[in-house]
Amino acid sequence: MSAFLQFLVNGLTVGSFYALVALGYTMIYGIIRLINFAHGDIFMVGAFVGWTVLAALAASHLPALAALGVALVVAMAATGALGLVIERVAYQPLLKAPRLSILITALGASLALENGVMLKYGAGFETYPHLLAGAGFSVLGAQVKYAQVGFFLLSLALMAGLYLFVHRTPVGTAMRALALDQDAARLMGVNVEGVIMLTFFLGSALAAAAGVMYGTYYTQINFMMGFLLGLRAFTAAVLGGIGNIPGAMVGGLLIGLLEAFSSGYISGQWKDVIVFAVLILVLVVKPTGLFGERVVERM
Amino acid sequence: MAKRKWLSLAAALAGLALVVTACGSGGGGAGGSESGAAGTIKIGVTAPLSGDYASAGTDIVNAAKLAADEINAKGGVLGKKIEIVAEDDQCDSQVGVQAAQKLMDEGVVAVAGGYCSSASIPETGVLAQKHVAFVADASTNPDLTDKNPGNVFRVIGRDDQQGPFAAKFIAEVLGAKKAAVIHDNTTYAKGLAEEAKKGLEADGVQVVYFDAITPGEKDYTSTLTTVKGLNPDVIYYTGYFAEAGLLVKQARELGITATFMGGDATQDPTLIATAGDKAEGMIITTAPLPQFLTGAQDFVQSYKSKYGQDPGPYSVYEYDCVKLVADAIQRANSTDPEKIVEALKQTKNYKGLTGDITFNEKGDRTGELYITTIVKDGKFQPYKKYENGQWVDIQ
Repeated sequence: MSAFLQFLVNGLTVGSFYALVALGYTMIYGIIRLINFAHGDIFMVGAFVGWTVLAALAASHLPALAALGVALVVAMAATGALGLVIERVAYQPLLKAPRLSILITALGASLALENGVMLKYGAGFETYPHLLAGAGFSVLGAQVKYAQVGFFLLSLALMAGLYLFVHRTPVGTAMRALALDQDAARLMGVNVEGVIMLTFFLGSALAAAAGVMYGTYYTQINFMMGFLLGLRAFTAAVLGGIGNIPGAMVGGLLIGLLEAFSSGYISGQWKDVIVFAVLILVLVVKPTGLFGERVVERM
Repeated sequence: MAKRKWLSLAAALAGLALVVTACGSGGGGAGGSESGAAGTIKIGVTAPLSGDYASAGTDIVNAAKLAADEINAKGGVLGKKIEIVAEDDQCDSQVGVQAAQKLMDEGVVAVAGGYCSSASIPETGVLAQKHVAFVADASTNPDLTDKNPGNVFRVIGRDDQQGPFAAKFIAEVLGAKKAAVIHDNTTYAKGLAEEAKKGLEADGVQVVYFDAITPGEKDYTSTLTTVKGLNPDVIYYTGYFAEAGLLVKQARELGITATFMGGDATQDPTLIATAGDKAEGMIITTAPLPQFLTGAQDFVQSYKSKYGQDPGPYSVYEYDCVKLVADAIQRANSTDPEKIVEALKQTKNYKGLTGDITFNEKGDRTGELYITTIVKDGKFQPYKKYENGQWVDIQ
């Protein structure tokens, strides 16, 4: 029982990181049908921005939580802006070009980010300061850290905020309209380019938040960290039904739980086999993913 | 993973291009030794002197020259001076074969050196044709002596000795009953883990967990939760430092109190930076670095004053190789390569800086060539070694 609970806690922790990154994949796909391969690396850049801010604040004797808050806000803003710049430079000129061209630029953006960070910070590992002492409590034999609870709640809050933004505000409505039919939305007076830019900003900011939390929680970052995690998050988005926001959240948590239970009960070596077998099964039964609709309502 | 494959393919192509261009300008390493002062005894050294591993090769040749200088200062061997003839093998099998051929043309009586096993192994085949001894200072691949053509001796440990050493430490020093062995599915780590498992079972320690993690991930708590449930006395991780840091940190946070141990690839400051105070007390099995060897302090000093930098990890082994060859020439009372090989085979308790040297029938060194270090006060510090049948603290 205690092992089961521990797997649950671990799965939800990892899953909430996946979910935050998966949201970016799904939002961008929903709006311009692009699988943004650079998104995992945006997450990595967020982690590095946060690390830089924390290193700069190290001398200021700011309380740990305040420093973390500053790092989160700065990383989200800076990385959001970076996402926006990438969209302007690499994707926007190709929006009307064949899909393959824009897919290739996404790969290029991914390589540029990875190698850029490697040149700036080196190919080795950087370590986050040990801000959170790892204190926690025990529930029926399972160890739960305050950091896990905090980050999980923060992820849920960010996801809920995004959901409300998309479903309850005029801009969110414009986003959904754009996802349905770009030309019709433009005819209705929606500022299409502005909405696309905003989507990139939001997606990148969420990935950056995940990056800073990830760095703080695991303490170890390097320029390739976005690759594996990006792959998992993309899988989560597909599992939940790419283009669907609640789908990405559920998909992320589900992948996290699947990984935790399969590496706990079966073997760490079989984890990926099991996760992708489940993905294939779901897609065979429901090709649009868990939450994907046949009618193309994408957000 | 596809992306990684492309990257490594690109790297391989770039490496190929380098090799091709390097072959064009081929080995100028030996230089003026052709004229060779009359009355010197030539000892050959093969090592990578260009390419990625050039710095390691330079550390080796420097140590060989230092040893020769010391021997010559005391009057040389059989009334003659020792001359070191270095040849670049670029860590490449083809270039290595040419280097070995060149050394024989130069008339070396024995070769002491080598770095990459991939170059050393083919070199031994060439040298064997004329019964020239090859004394290896750094090549740890088991094949080097398992396929010994009769002229190979090795003063450093083998890759497959570390596992049994770790097992012995776990059984005898820690007195463990149950052990968990974790690797990361790379050739090196898996091999070490399998050797350790064999050794543990032979020493009466139950291996309750044996599995791999995926390197590059950050969260290993699920694997560790399973390990925790099996309640081992010790956890031995045979992979690399990045994952080792995360594993020891997450194990402690889960409340696992078992002794945490790592293989020699975990000895890196990143481990301590990642795990912070959670790394304290972690024990590592490793080949001794010169600064951990008693008796090597004079060597470290004279190396520094001669070359203005610290010796490399294998410099002290190369120093022992050259001194040992000189000793064998003395004992053979001849510079005939075949007689030197015979003398090397008879080596018994030769007092080297790295300890007593005796070779077994394969040409491998007998005795324990590994030590343990421990993380203490945020640093790797020497811990225990096995000497004369018992475990002693390294001082």
